[in-house]
Amino acid sequence: MNHQTKTQFIAVASITSELTAVISISKEISLAAANAKAIAFRAGDKARGFQPITDFINDLAKEMIQNIEIINELATSLCRITIKEYRKTEAFNKFELITTTCGSAVHAHSMQKPLADAKAIVQNCQLQFKRDVALLMDHLDTVTQHAKTAGIIATYSRIEASQAGEYLQSLQTVSKSVDNAARKIHDHVQRCIIALSRFGSANK
Amino acid sequence: MKSINIYEGSQHQWIMFGRDKNKPDNIIDSNQYMVRTANRCLLLDPGGYELFAPMMAAVLHHAPVEQITDLFASHQDPDVISSLSLWDQALPHAKLHAPKIWEGFLRHYGCESIEYVPIADNGGSLKLEAIELQFIPAHYLHSSGNFHVYDPEAKILMSGDIGAALEPGEAPLFVDDFEAHTEKMRYFHQRWMPSNPAKKTWIERVRKLDIEILAPQHGRMFKGDDVGRFLDWFDALQVGMAV
Repeated sequence: MNHQTKTQFIAVASITSELTAVISISKEISLAAANAKAIAFRAGDKARGFQPITDFINDLAKEMIQNIEIINELATSLCRITIKEYRKTEAFNKFELITTTCGSAVHAHSMQKPLADAKAIVQNCQLQFKRDVALLMDHLDTVTQHAKTAGIIATYSRIEASQAGEYLQSLQTVSKSVDNAARKIHDHVQRCIIALSRFGSANK
Repeated sequence: MKSINIYEGSQHQWIMFGRDKNKPDNIIDSNQYMVRTANRCLLLDPGGYELFAPMMAAVLHHAPVEQITDLFASHQDPDVISSLSLWDQALPHAKLHAPKIWEGFLRHYGCESIEYVPIADNGGSLKLEAIELQFIPAHYLHSSGNFHVYDPEAKILMSGDIGAALEPGEAPLFVDDFEAHTEKMRYFHQRWMPSNPAKKTWIERVRKLDIEILAPQHGRMFKGDDVGRFLDWFDALQVGMAV
């Protein structure tokens, strides 16, 4: 297995691992939003400003999960492409070896078509990999934006929580947990972006 | 890799490939066979993954890629057919004739383009232009779904692992001293063949065939009277000795 293929396998495996964590954290945000909604309901007028925020946080978490599911599908596709590319490259290398070792074989020329076909498939796999990476990067950017938005909302919700009287503590805990989750998601997604960025500019 | 014509008829040839000097030391040496008619070729037990390149390079001395239309795998083992994914990519329109019960297993080697033609338990035949080859059941010798290929015109039985011998270096292509050769076969047959009743059934079946050359997948081939000597020796041998 050549260095490029190894790097691709490692990148795909690492983003899959990072995304599993992101889904889990997004579900935590969704749960925190539900919890905050219940508290805000009990708080009534004292947390009037907090109530729409909880819906927004919940929607944001759902969108994040949906995006991550798409990213996961793309990551699985990248894994399949990498395996296919690996197999086709192996075949191409063997076919090339045959053309150099069969010497004066009467039918040596007949290897040219399988050789050309294998080369074309390898190139196609490489192109498809780059395209899928570009698509995946777009989705990762979207999740990054969502994480940033969640962070801003967490800050805003802390301000709203400060007016919730005896519910202050509970709502601040919710705000803090959303903020922490947003930071963690941001970090995981950044690691995905770094893992994929080495594959260069992609042709969309 | 050496290649030698073992039969030359008006309609077809049998070519044996083997004794590859560049083969990695830690894999078993194997014999591959090709039946060549005017426009088609059948490769029998075409070999392991590591053997694909030298095998194909050797084949190109006899036939162009597009005329390799059929492959045969006597059973599922890697020394027989782990090169399948590479043949699959080199020969996108070929057919693989192999035991029905091994289809789901053999496809793990990589079988995207090649058409799998399952051989039923009771055998079958393959028409290759003017000649017709027979798939002879040899189940449990040593695989649970196993076939040999008999050519009634050339009087050749490609016998898979039966008649195989494990010996180092470049062994001669044909058995020249049968008695001495039995010691090279004994352990292999006792250890890799699990069933005495299966062995008896196979011997009964094969004794009815007119065989001039018995061509195993490993070691030397048997010719003329040595074919009968081998059947007698195998008949008397107790197999399945690892219990």
